[in-house]
Amino acid sequence: MSVEPEPVTLTIDGKEVTVPTGTLVIRAAEQLGIEIPRFCDHPFLDPVGACRQCYVEIEGQRKLFTACTTEVAAGMVVHTQNTSELAHEGQVANLEFLLINHPLDCPICDRGGECPLQDQTMAFGPGESRYIEPKRVYRKPIPLSPLVLLDRERCVLCARCTRFCDQISGDRFIEMFARGAGQQVAIAAGEDFRSPFSGNTIQICPVGALTASTYRFVARPFDVHVADGICGHCSAGCNVRVDVRRGEVVRVLARDNAEVNDAWICDKGRFAFRAADGPGRVTTPLIRERGLEPASFDEVLGRVAEWSRGARVAFLTGGRLADEDAFALSKLARVAFGTNDLDHRRAFHGGLAEELEAASALRVTYRDVERAGAILVVGLDAEQEVPILHLRIRKAARRGARVFVVHSRETRLSDVAEHLLCRPGQEGAVLERLIEGGAAGSDEERVARALRTAEGAVVLAGSLLAEHPLATDVALRLSRRLGAGFALVPRRAGDRGALRAGVHPALLPGGRRLAVASERAEVEAVWGELRSSEPGRNGREILEACARREIDVLFLVGVDPLRDVPDAALARRALENVPVKVVQSLELGELEPYADAFLPAAALHEREGHLTTWEGRSQRTRPVRAPAGLSRPDWEIFAGLAEAVGAPLGFGSVEELREEMEALLAPREVSERPTAWVGAGVPQWLDEVTLFTYPLLVDEGRLSEGASELKAALEEPAFVEVHPEDAERLHLADGGWARVRTGAGEATLPVRVSSRVAQGSVFVPFNQPGLEANRLLSGRFTAAATLEAVPGGGEGARGGEGIAGPEAKT
Amino acid sequence: MAVLTPELRAEAERIKARYPAGRERSAIMPLLYLVQSVEGRVTQDGLREVASLLGITTAEVEAVAGFYTMIRLRPTGRYVVSVCTNLACALRGARGVLEAARRTAGVPTDGELSEDGLFTVHEEECLAACDAAPVVAVNFANYDRMTEATVSELIEALRRGEEPPPARGPFPGDFRLVSRLLAGVPESVGAGAPEATATAEEPLR
Ligand code: SF4
Ligand code: SF4
Ligand code: FES
Ligand code: FES
Repeated sequence: MSVEPEPVTLTIDGKEVTVPTGTLVIRAAEQLGIEIPRFCDHPFLDPVGACRQCYVEIEGQRKLFTACTTEVAAGMVVHTQNTSELAHEGQVANLEFLLINHPLDCPICDRGGECPLQDQTMAFGPGESRYIEPKRVYRKPIPLSPLVLLDRERCVLCARCTRFCDQISGDRFIEMFARGAGQQVAIAAGEDFRSPFSGNTIQICPVGALTASTYRFVARPFDVHVADGICGHCSAGCNVRVDVRRGEVVRVLARDNAEVNDAWICDKGRFAFRAADGPGRVTTPLIRERGLEPASFDEVLGRVAEWSRGARVAFLTGGRLADEDAFALSKLARVAFGTNDLDHRRAFHGGLAEELEAASALRVTYRDVERAGAILVVGLDAEQEVPILHLRIRKAARRGARVFVVHSRETRLSDVAEHLLCRPGQEGAVLERLIEGGAAGSDEERVARALRTAEGAVVLAGSLLAEHPLATDVALRLSRRLGAGFALVPRRAGDRGALRAGVHPALLPGGRRLAVASERAEVEAVWGELRSSEPGRNGREILEACARREIDVLFLVGVDPLRDVPDAALARRALENVPVKVVQSLELGELEPYADAFLPAAALHEREGHLTTWEGRSQRTRPVRAPAGLSRPDWEIFAGLAEAVGAPLGFGSVEELREEMEALLAPREVSERPTAWVGAGVPQWLDEVTLFTYPLLVDEGRLSEGASELKAALEEPAFVEVHPEDAERLHLADGGWARVRTGAGEATLPVRVSSRVAQGSVFVPFNQPGLEANRLLSGRFTAAATLEAVPGGGEGARGGEGIAGPEAKT
Repeated sequence: MAVLTPELRAEAERIKARYPAGRERSAIMPLLYLVQSVEGRVTQDGLREVASLLGITTAEVEAVAGFYTMIRLRPTGRYVVSVCTNLACALRGARGVLEAARRTAGVPTDGELSEDGLFTVHEEECLAACDAAPVVAVNFANYDRMTEATVSELIEALRRGEEPPPARGPFPGDFRLVSRLLAGVPESVGAGAPEATATAEEPLR
């Protein structure tokens, strides 16, 4: 988009280096491998020059300069501490200053052993202080939230934490208060550090001033095992480092990757790490005799094979499978069992867009988002669903991108984006109007023009779009009309991999259509002839068939339909009627009474594998410990089962498995056919009130089990959000209670009146404490609803824990 | 609890409207003065109100409020007596002036608010009149070449309700009035706001 800046040549410590105009001296030095000490400098934050540690001498200048704020100039001659006595002295003096009020309580500081202040004091510092007066004393630590603790004595006032909140997350809850010697990082009285990105401030704090409540006094860097992993909580694909002490995960940190997560991760990725070590984890195979009894893997696989032979078999998976698992399952179902009844989806987009994603034919990356001139976000609450994508959109906005959001609820992009609120299910209609250019003088006209004229536009479509059978393809069509990039953004970490692998009733690996002979043949060339070319049942149809007893054996792989499927009643009926249920997961949970066999799966950080980001980038994740107990990677279990039924999958190692994957999953060009969408206006419906739901970031999901600090900081009890005009019409008051009724059920919930939500629709979160919203749903994530005020809360109410809107604080 | 009366809220909106769209937070100083003119200081409620007016977090407001000594976050007297103790003034006896001021005003050791709640006495950085050192400001109006005796007289006069003329310009009036002036909102708007007198000192945060 922009012209590359002119290169500039300068000399640092006698070595020449050529860098683009505008580069900071500290970065240019890095390119030469010269390290200048620093505290406040951070490559992903704007320079501030707060700590004064990075002094260098520049020939022809009378004073020392801070390398982190000084831009290079042609012919500049820079001397760092390596070649300038003056710079060295300046740095030593500054370190002495920084340490004047520093408590030097390293032995009890969580940062000890990995502290930039410690390290740089050793490397560049004076070693001894001349300061003998009493030091400044503060109460310590003070909690900024249940996750983040602040020790003000240790703070060097580098403003990394506050700049992160200002420039990156936009959650400006912490600030520098007061001035002079009394200056300190602080939060306003009565405000919480309610940011889903708060943990990043801990990681970038160059001292032990910000520490994590989850890691307090837990470990030292030399007594943990670490491995490079990929976060399994969402499709963002954040690069993480997992720390294990004595077999237990104790910490997750972000790894830098400018292509993916920059240097950040969200608080869920950072703090929800205990699920695999929780009391619910089952690590032995089980088989139902009198009760569920432990047995060997071979025994259980043998029995399952027996039950499945010649039976009608179906597979449902959740969102946590690694790419290898999904691929193995796709093959297992089709080759060993000859069934196409398999699905991983929770939202059914269908259509061309999904097929293109499956074929890896759409290539929008984080970088494309970052550099876009305009971004249209549709049916996606990025902050809650794919948090790091949210940060990237914010970064783009800071670089000047125009951002527009079409959604039923205002998102936390509101300070950088314009929202076009619409009722759920109507996104397609809005998009259609954008395609047409919008009515004269309307907001849509303005937005359409901004999108058309922007250089490098990107359309990001979320799962709420799947609520309308055509909306996703309308979004695709709009992107084509704009010449924009398009991405279908799934929520869960395993979604993209599963779609590509063909854990789908109609799509084979690489998005090849089962029903199209030529595409099927490409798969058959590797897998051998497939028994059926008839597309199978999708997730919902599988459950319906189970309920009608048209399926004999149901495999539940990392999924709990009772909680995950947007129709709790159907899930229950299915489980009650299908004769055999095989559960493959980390735990049994509510499926315990139903399971006939249990196959223990290894957790993500216990095995080798890959996860594919929403962009389609496949990233390797490495194990940090051995699988707990007898658990195994899912793909190995599938391979074992295939052996047991006498139809081996043909791969004995991950390498062999990956070879086959590479053959079938290479990006394919898909000729774009006209889609189901015909341009005649997508049908709309209008309920009195439309209820819609999607999961919030921190909820009762199983992968967040045990994350008590995270939940204390960010989890909200269930609520129903109502637009002020609807609230008035329905006589609902903010802070009061409402009985919400749908065709499927009813619930009594605290009311939040807010113009964040589109008029005519009400939002309930999918799985917060107090409500499993799938009890209100009949297969979609929207439902026609009625609301009535309930004086005082009524029977359905949970005992009055602090259930109130965030505004209700005094 | 709302600090601003509806009339003053309307004023606040007018102040906000002076700044370009998207830059409303620039109104933070006049709004803080406006709140201070009602409360005689800026309380947590006041900070929150400014934050909500500007659509920013309370922390952002407090960061600014805490930086400027003209914005008072702790209980404050009707007269803020600022004694410059920077170099020029220090060399000409500012320490003694400060002690005399504290004594006469009746400020307890370690505090800054007089027992009768009338005076806040605190040390100030250079008041930009070094040629007239030692300088003392009362509600931001400078009194030049002060001595222990003249500062005591000044404080006694204020206590008697007199309006001793500063070195330049008219007597500024009490702290609320001065804050109102600085907010750029006439005294008559929203008159009748509840009186709040400063009482015991709150501990420093
Ligand atoms: S708390 Fe840490 S990151 Fe924040 S200003 Fe202090 S030293 Fe810097
Ligand atoms: S954004 Fe997603 S992938 Fe990244 S840390 Fe959070 S949950 Fe994990
Ligand atoms: S790193 Fe340069 S001033 Fe802090
Ligand atoms: S030093 Fe006191 S006025 Fe300048």
